[in-house]
Amino acid sequence: MIKLTIISCIALSALCLNSCTNDYLTVNSASSLLADGSYYNSKTHLTEALVASYDPLKWFDYFYSYESLPLVADLMSEDVMAGGGGETDCLYLHKISNFSALPTSVCNQTWSICYSGINRSNIVLQYINNAADMTEAEKAEYTAEATVMRAWYYTTLWKYWGNIPYFEKNLTYPYISPQIGHDAVYDKIAASLESSINANVLPMKSTAGNEGHVTQAMAEMLYADVVMYQKDATRYPTALKYMKDIIGSTKYDLVSDYASLWESTGEWCKESIFEINYTAKNGGRAWDAPIATGGSVYPKFIGINGLSGSPEFNGGWGFEPVCASAYKMFDSNDKRRDASILNFAAYSATNGATYSPRYEDTGYFMRKYLPRLDGNSGCTGSGDMNYNNNVRLYRYSETLLNAAELLLATGGSNTEAQGYLDKVRIRAGLASVTVSVDNILNERHKEFVGEGKRYWDLVRSGKAATILVAGSTTTRSANWTESKKYLPIPQGEIDAAQGTLTQNNY
Amino acid sequence: MNKKSRQRCKSLNLHLNKLFISLICTATLLILSTASVSAATPIKGTITDEKTGTALTGVGVLVEGTTIGTTTDNDGHFTINVPSENSVLVISYIGYTKQKIKVGRQTNLKIVLSEDSRSLDEVIVVGYGTQKKSVVTASISRVTSEDLNRVAPVRIDDALKGITSGVTVTTASGQPGAGSQIRIRGIGTINNSDPLYIVDGMPIDGGIDYLNPRDIQSVEVLKDAASGAIYGARAANGVVLVTTKSGKSEKMRVSYDYSYGVQNAWKQRSVLNGTQYAIMMNEASIAAGKGAMYSDPYSFGTGTNWQNEVLNSNAPKEQHQLSISGGNDKISYYISGGYYSQDGIVGGNFNRSNYKRYTLRSNTDYVLLDTKERNFLNKLVFTQNISFANIKSTGISTNSEYGSPLGSALVMTPLMDVYADTDAEIKNVNNILGNASVKIPVSDYRNKKLLNMAGDSFNEITNPIGQLSIPGSIGSSNKFVANFSAELTLIDNLKLKSSFGNDIAFWENNGYNIPYYLGKSSYNERSYVYSSMNRSWVWQLENTLSYDKKIDKHSFSVVLGQSAKKTTGRYLWGQRYLMISEDASKANIDFTTGIASKGEQLVSGSAYSPATMASYFGRISYNFDERYMLQATVRRDGSSNFGTNNKWATFPSVSLGWNITNESFINDRKPEWLTNTKLRVSWGKNGNSTMSAFRYVALTSTGNNYAFGAGENTIINNGTKPNGIANPDLKWEESEQTDLGLDFALFANALTFTVDYYVKNTNGMLMEMPINSYVGDAKPWGNVGTMENKGLEFETTYRFKTGNWNFRVGANASFLQNKTINLGNSTGFANYDSYASVGTISRAQNGICFPFFYGYKTAGIFQNAAEVNAYKNANGDLIQPKAQAGDVKFVDTNNDGVINDDDRTKIGKGMPDWTYGFNFSASYKNFDMNMVFQGTIGNDIYDATRRVDLQYVNLPAYMWGRWTGEGTSNTTPRFTWTDDNKNWQSSDLYVKDGSYLRLKNIQIGYTFPHNLTRKALISSLRLYVAAENLLTFTKYEGFDPEIGTSGGTSIGIDRGCYPQARTYTFGLNLNF
Repeated sequence: MIKLTIISCIALSALCLNSCTNDYLTVNSASSLLADGSYYNSKTHLTEALVASYDPLKWFDYFYSYESLPLVADLMSEDVMAGGGGETDCLYLHKISNFSALPTSVCNQTWSICYSGINRSNIVLQYINNAADMTEAEKAEYTAEATVMRAWYYTTLWKYWGNIPYFEKNLTYPYISPQIGHDAVYDKIAASLESSINANVLPMKSTAGNEGHVTQAMAEMLYADVVMYQKDATRYPTALKYMKDIIGSTKYDLVSDYASLWESTGEWCKESIFEINYTAKNGGRAWDAPIATGGSVYPKFIGINGLSGSPEFNGGWGFEPVCASAYKMFDSNDKRRDASILNFAAYSATNGATYSPRYEDTGYFMRKYLPRLDGNSGCTGSGDMNYNNNVRLYRYSETLLNAAELLLATGGSNTEAQGYLDKVRIRAGLASVTVSVDNILNERHKEFVGEGKRYWDLVRSGKAATILVAGSTTTRSANWTESKKYLPIPQGEIDAAQGTLTQNNY
Repeated sequence: MNKKSRQRCKSLNLHLNKLFISLICTATLLILSTASVSAATPIKGTITDEKTGTALTGVGVLVEGTTIGTTTDNDGHFTINVPSENSVLVISYIGYTKQKIKVGRQTNLKIVLSEDSRSLDEVIVVGYGTQKKSVVTASISRVTSEDLNRVAPVRIDDALKGITSGVTVTTASGQPGAGSQIRIRGIGTINNSDPLYIVDGMPIDGGIDYLNPRDIQSVEVLKDAASGAIYGARAANGVVLVTTKSGKSEKMRVSYDYSYGVQNAWKQRSVLNGTQYAIMMNEASIAAGKGAMYSDPYSFGTGTNWQNEVLNSNAPKEQHQLSISGGNDKISYYISGGYYSQDGIVGGNFNRSNYKRYTLRSNTDYVLLDTKERNFLNKLVFTQNISFANIKSTGISTNSEYGSPLGSALVMTPLMDVYADTDAEIKNVNNILGNASVKIPVSDYRNKKLLNMAGDSFNEITNPIGQLSIPGSIGSSNKFVANFSAELTLIDNLKLKSSFGNDIAFWENNGYNIPYYLGKSSYNERSYVYSSMNRSWVWQLENTLSYDKKIDKHSFSVVLGQSAKKTTGRYLWGQRYLMISEDASKANIDFTTGIASKGEQLVSGSAYSPATMASYFGRISYNFDERYMLQATVRRDGSSNFGTNNKWATFPSVSLGWNITNESFINDRKPEWLTNTKLRVSWGKNGNSTMSAFRYVALTSTGNNYAFGAGENTIINNGTKPNGIANPDLKWEESEQTDLGLDFALFANALTFTVDYYVKNTNGMLMEMPINSYVGDAKPWGNVGTMENKGLEFETTYRFKTGNWNFRVGANASFLQNKTINLGNSTGFANYDSYASVGTISRAQNGICFPFFYGYKTAGIFQNAAEVNAYKNANGDLIQPKAQAGDVKFVDTNNDGVINDDDRTKIGKGMPDWTYGFNFSASYKNFDMNMVFQGTIGNDIYDATRRVDLQYVNLPAYMWGRWTGEGTSNTTPRFTWTDDNKNWQSSDLYVKDGSYLRLKNIQIGYTFPHNLTRKALISSLRLYVAAENLLTFTKYEGFDPEIGTSGGTSIGIDRGCYPQARTYTFGLNLNF
């Protein structure tokens, strides 16, 4: 008995001393792997990393704050207002709209979302050469795709804030990246896009099933966007060349029915170059899972409050009322007018629909992105958060208008430019006007109303200070000045940076 | 051999367990008695326990001044020959007060012994061993089973309330089974500040409510770092050591306890009645230019009292406990079974707030070997403690202003009836349903009557009876805790103890939901059933070597040990939509028809990542002549929660003690009444490692998906990224504590007094590092913050006896001062709680206590326009330009001439300055009485029960005293819907004094005379009546000043908390 006990005690002690090593203290996660090179070493896993780099694209509409890209940009134009329940309902939107954003009241999620995308794009680039089962061609394609995605995120940051921390390798301790000026940011974006485009490894247009991926056309549109916003004449020829690449490829064309663009059938049509992809089918977004994959809450957000009797739209929360001037700028025979903006009085006259006005109500609504009936069917999450309306970022009509503008700017063929402008006007059911920078900008205003282009056009064309003045929307009381070009950097970032971030002089 | 054993007996005399000593002493006395020869009178006697009336076995009986002695047999009988009538018998029994009895002419003695719990020879449990209280150098509070009997708690955490100093127990709610939050010496960290619970040597995570308090022998609270250091990495928040009961070497004892109680809310909150409500609504409506809402407010009378509707009166509470204990010199056992059930005072009658617990315990000690044949490997004791608990509970949402049943009862309009039984009401319900996405109203669970609906203007606030009538979920758990240990005496006093403990728990949550519509944010579209199952297994293997030695006046005690622990577990959750029928009895997942491809079948599950811990520890205690004491402890812990850079950490401590009165130079001169004075000082470092695993690396995180493809061909693609940014340098939080204590004992220990002062600093608090968001992923955790707690603690007990009266008075008080030294972030503050539209109401900030209420200071009400216009800044501008007469005057705390966010400041705090308790026991013959009081001083309550963002909700009664004209009120502003002055932004108007004193428990008992009960083979029978929360003294107007916590860092915010019940109980204790 004693012997047995002693032996077992010694055995137990021995067992324990033996096991009490660092091996015993090293445990593995039950359902995850280390997220380093030991994981990102195959095509499958690099594809996962690449997918993850697109993921933040779909958060802008809601990630604990509503910062949909077209919404925020248009709020700074003369076309729309914030609306909703009142001045304090999404205060940051009202502030931005009135050029009175504060470091504590600005679209700070956009900052974080873009950097999430950058971090994830960097991971693809960091590990791409680690994938043993990928061909060099595949690696080149992934590299170009991730680089363009990163450039896209940086472009958004650059347009909003200008002077930002820029890094191409993810940060390690002490997690500080120096802030660089807006011109330096521009140079880096443009250079990375040129290298990706010139590698010529991306398809001009996605094959079926791959819609949503970066294409050569998307990269070229982004390049033109950046170069034209920077007014960098030295790169105009390259930008023009890229536009002509797209046009010459014949992979894209205008659709004949402008209104069809905004229906779900119009998504990824032949005119579409890049969209943020949302899907209602199996859409899992919910209030407790705001960044799950699925649909968008943006349609609900700008939907018509208390709507009833509409044969095609669901109601919503009444944000983003459209200014009457935006409706009235169209010729009455412009097919784009009623396809873009819903004039409720006229609408109600045809079907007896009613609604309850909210703050800054105008009676006009952004029809392009209104929630369609059944637009959220098939979702598993919250119905309100899963509308399938994709956000159109680049359309072929912009390629044509870019080309026209770049032709004028580089002293190219006027006829050619006229042809591109006419093509857009003809589709809208309008007669030709003489091609000029102003006419192109006017055309862009109408063609892209509600698509978040107008404000950037006003800034780059130097018209912002004259157009975006107090009274340019019903409730705007401040004037745009050059210092409003860059939003205030979120206060939390200034605080955390401990002196390494300089606030914009907003 | 006899000689040897006698010597050993002597050297052992100081130490260890009572049982062992009594055995040896018994043997000694037996030897002595057989050695004596005398021709005197034989005297018989019986010795029983004063309390229980049970016979005591092995009690030593000695004729004073002689070697004549004997011990009692199994029935407590003894026979002894005494030389003369003048002989005096000395009756001694370990743990009982020694008695001397003059024999006289008696021949059949009935001797009753009372337990001696004030003895300084009292042994207290310290980690990995016990220690004589007289030589303890650390700060340890002790709660005995006797203390527990006075309060008859349901959970061990409740038991600590008011009984001991240095422990703040705050109860989150009065919901049956709701846990309390225990803070030992304040809030030590912004992270988990829960203490470490060790039950019979086994650390218990995930809830201590499996323990039946009636099975507990003692609870020791290790408060200072020196006492906690033996538990190193987990002791930073204090350690609660629980020792369960074990059998004694005595005749079988069967005890049965029963109690039945009825519970009621001890008070209702005063709100406006129907007429007052209508008048107020009219007032606001007219002021807003909308005309009167009600033409005749007086026609409504008192209206519906929603609190009456929601509160469950006479909710039952019942408890049974049967225990059997006993033993002999080889085996001793304690077996018990318990049942406890409680219905809640809110929702208990809807089966929505109920608690049932079954407990079983078997504690056994086997002396496998005890030989005197050799002095090595001569004793082996095997101990097993096995317990099982099954708990079933249901609960309602509590302490929420967003539509908890009680929160809603406070703000629901008194003009609405509970039921929709008139045509107008039914029409109104149908109207509301007309715009709803689900057209199914809710009926009362009890009588199926259609309930009224308040409509959209009430937002989340819905008919509270409706909230109680919809199905809830049922939580249930099964927990087994089994410890096995063997202690082998190697040689001399060198002992090896090996123990293997297991904590195996299964818990689940099951429920279903049906389609219903209560309000615009409280509805459910499709029926579904859900079920979650969890299991976990914690094992711990420990080996300790202990050695005790006394050489002359030097006493040594050394403990060396090793410990290894591992936790594993698994969970599974599923939910499926579309029940075949809404049948609660069949609410199982396979009673549904949901189709996976439509997203109607959801599942998740995983193994928990294992957590391991390895430790080595040692402690040396030394005392010289019980005058000078020294104790040093060191523990080295390794944890799987940390990376290779910081896997191991060392936690040292040292403490010193000086028994001043044991010094001869004092002893000779000290007054008679001063029995003992001891000075203690200790310093130590403890750790806190309660954090999630794998914070030091980045792991893959799936679900970062994106949809590619167009239209019907859109497919969601799997995306994977690192789950965050790694910090390989992550390490433990450390808390460093210095304690200075003084113990006094006076009048032969009748009066004892202890005072402690401590300073406790927590360094390197684990929190998210304050780096920039532009890193682009979840920020790493780092060791960044610092917190300080300082405090004073007092404990005193006084016992005395006059005639047949016995009294005991105990009191304790703790003073605590907490300060956040550094939150570790760049702003130096962090916002915590928020309330409805009011926004932030509490925050933590460097240099201020953690956390505190945050808002504006007010300076009364503007009585007229002149006062508004007189409130100007240096530039002559109005400080509150939007104010008018009747509005709140806010203080411009930063003197910048405007009232804005920057003027918000500390307006109160939820943590008390003082927590105190006192208890009083008295007995007279067969009657006994116990009272326990507890209270707090210096804490505030943030009264967040009113929904200021909703127009038509009912109002607290204080609003009736609103400002209505000059001089009417200087505390409550005018009632208005258009609050341009923001009268009800977060300010001290919401902050109320939360101090209270409460008679927590009072018990009056009667024990039937032994000679009556003996005939029924009953050794003792006691009946008692008790009341809980009988009296409460407080200025606070809400349901309960014991608000406690509504979350980890949230203290003292009342959002309509579930009050503690006032309970009247009848009970009996029966012993065979």
